[in-house]
Amino acid sequence: MQPLANVTPLKPPARAGAIEVRHVGQVFRTRSQDVVALEDVSLDIKPGRFVVLVGPSGCGKSTLLLMMAGLRQQTSGTITINGAPIPQPDPDRVGVVFQEASLFPWLTAEDNVEFPLALRGVPKPQRRAKAQDALKLVGLDGFGRRHPHELSGGMKQRVSIARGLVQDPPVLLMDEPFAALDEQTRMTMGDELLRIWAATGKTVVFVTHSLTEAVYLADEVIVMSARPGRIVDHLQVQLPRPRTYEMLSGDAFGALRDRIWRHIRKSA
Amino acid sequence: MSAKMNFKMNFKINAKALRYLIVIALIALWELLPRTGLIPELFLPSLSATLAAGWSEAAEYGHALAVTLYEVVISMAFACGGGILLGAIVGSLPRPRILIMPMVSSLYAVPLVILYPVFTVWLGIGSESKIAFASIYGFLPTMLATAAGIQTIDPQLLLAARSMGATLSQRLIRVIIPAAIPTVLSGLRVGGALVIVGVVVSEMLISSAGIGYLISRYRTILDSPHVFAGVLLVLFMAVAFNAAIRGIERQAAIWQTGTRAGQAADEINASAMQPAT
Repeated sequence: MQPLANVTPLKPPARAGAIEVRHVGQVFRTRSQDVVALEDVSLDIKPGRFVVLVGPSGCGKSTLLLMMAGLRQQTSGTITINGAPIPQPDPDRVGVVFQEASLFPWLTAEDNVEFPLALRGVPKPQRRAKAQDALKLVGLDGFGRRHPHELSGGMKQRVSIARGLVQDPPVLLMDEPFAALDEQTRMTMGDELLRIWAATGKTVVFVTHSLTEAVYLADEVIVMSARPGRIVDHLQVQLPRPRTYEMLSGDAFGALRDRIWRHIRKSA
Repeated sequence: MSAKMNFKMNFKINAKALRYLIVIALIALWELLPRTGLIPELFLPSLSATLAAGWSEAAEYGHALAVTLYEVVISMAFACGGGILLGAIVGSLPRPRILIMPMVSSLYAVPLVILYPVFTVWLGIGSESKIAFASIYGFLPTMLATAAGIQTIDPQLLLAARSMGATLSQRLIRVIIPAAIPTVLSGLRVGGALVIVGVVVSEMLISSAGIGYLISRYRTILDSPHVFAGVLLVLFMAVAFNAAIRGIERQAAIWQTGTRAGQAADEINASAMQPAT
C-alpha cells in the first residue's frame, strides 16, 4: 500500500473499486406487517466514479449504502465490491463517512483518524505517519492534536473523511456527510471533496437530500422512489470538471435538477 | 472579545471570593451566635467548645474515625464495583434490562433503612451489617447511572466503529467504556455520598463503634459539644470525598471534553457560580 498523497488519479488500481448491485431487496419484518424497504435494485458502479444517491426520506438510500458497507445484509440479491461479496465491514475495501456526530469526542483528530489502524494493531509510528498523510490530504495539517469539540463542523467532516481514507480503500461511502453543515460550509466542503476525490481516484457513493449538491458533485445521479425503494432514474451528469460555482445557474444544471425533482415530487 | 473575557474572569474570581466569604461568615456565626447567647449552647455549642471537646477525646474520636473509614472504604468498593459491573451488564443487554430495571427502580424508591434492623439480626451489630447496608444503599444509584450511561451511547459511534472493522470486545473497550465514563462518574458521586450516609446512619441506629455511634451516644447524655465534634468529622469526610471525586473527574477531563455529559458538567459549574443580579 503506498502513501495516500502519492496516489494519482491517472493510475487507479486495476479493477479495484467496482461495485455491483444485483436484484437487491430488503424487507423489514415488523410484528404487524412486512415493510419492503428496497425492491429489485440493480446497479453497476465503475471504478473511480462519483455516484450520488438521491430520493425522498424512506426510499432506502441509506439502507443501500449500509449494505454496500457490510453493515447490514440484504434480504435478497447480491452486492459485490471488487468482485467479492461483503458479508461484514471490510475497511480494506470500503471506507465509510457518516454524519458529523460519528467522531469519537474523547480522541484527538489524529487519534480518530488512526482508530481503524489501531483496531488492527498497526504500530504507533506507522499509524501516526498515515494519519498525518490523511490529515494533510484533507487540508487539516497541524490540527491533529485538537479534539472534535475544538473543530468547526466542516473541519470535523474533514477528519471523518481522513478517517475513511486512512486505510486507502478503493471505495468511499458517504451517508449524508454534509447534512449538518450550514450552506456556505457545505459548498466549500463539496469542492474539497471533489479535490480529494480527484487526487485519490476513489470510487465514491454519496447519499444526500440536496438536489443541487447531487448534480454539482456527481458523475452519475441515481434517483430512488419511496416505499418500496426502487431506482426510478439514472442520470449521467455531463458537466465538465472541475465544477464551478457558475455552473449552478447554467441551463444544463437546471435541467438535470428539474428532472430529479420531478421524480421525487411524483413519489413523495 | 477580550473585554468580555476579562469580565468573565473577574466574575469567576469574585464568585470564588464570595464563596470563601460565605464559608468564613458561617464559621464566624457558629462561634458568635452561641457565645452571645442568641442560641443556647445546648442546641449549638460554639465552634471553639466543639473543637476543644473533640481534642479532649482525641483518641476516642480517632478510633471511631478509623472504624467508620474502614466501613466506608469497603462499602464503596462493593457499591461501586458491583454497581458498575451490573450496570454495564444491564445497560448493554436488553433482556436482563427488562427483567431487572423496573425492580431496581422501585427498590430505589424504598427507604432501605427499614431493612437495617434485619441486617443486624443476620450479621450482628459489628461492621459487617454496616458494610452490607451501605453497600446496597450506594450500589443502586451507581448501577442505575452506569446502565443509563451505556444505554445512552450514541449508536452512530458504534456503527462507525463497526464500519471500521471493530470486534465486539474492541467496541466495548474503545467505544462503550470511554463513552460511558462521564455518566458513571456522576453515578459514583451520588453512590459514594450515599455510602457515607449509609455507614453513619447505621452506626447511629444500632452499633458499638464508629462516629455515628459516638454522635448517638453523646446525644443521649445531652453532651452537645461532643455531638458536634462528631458532626464536624462526618462533614470533613464528605468534603474530602467530594474533593477526591473532583480529582478523578479532572483526571478524566480528557475523556469528557466535548461529550454531552462533560459539557453539562461545565455548564452546571458555571451556573453554580453566578450570583443573583
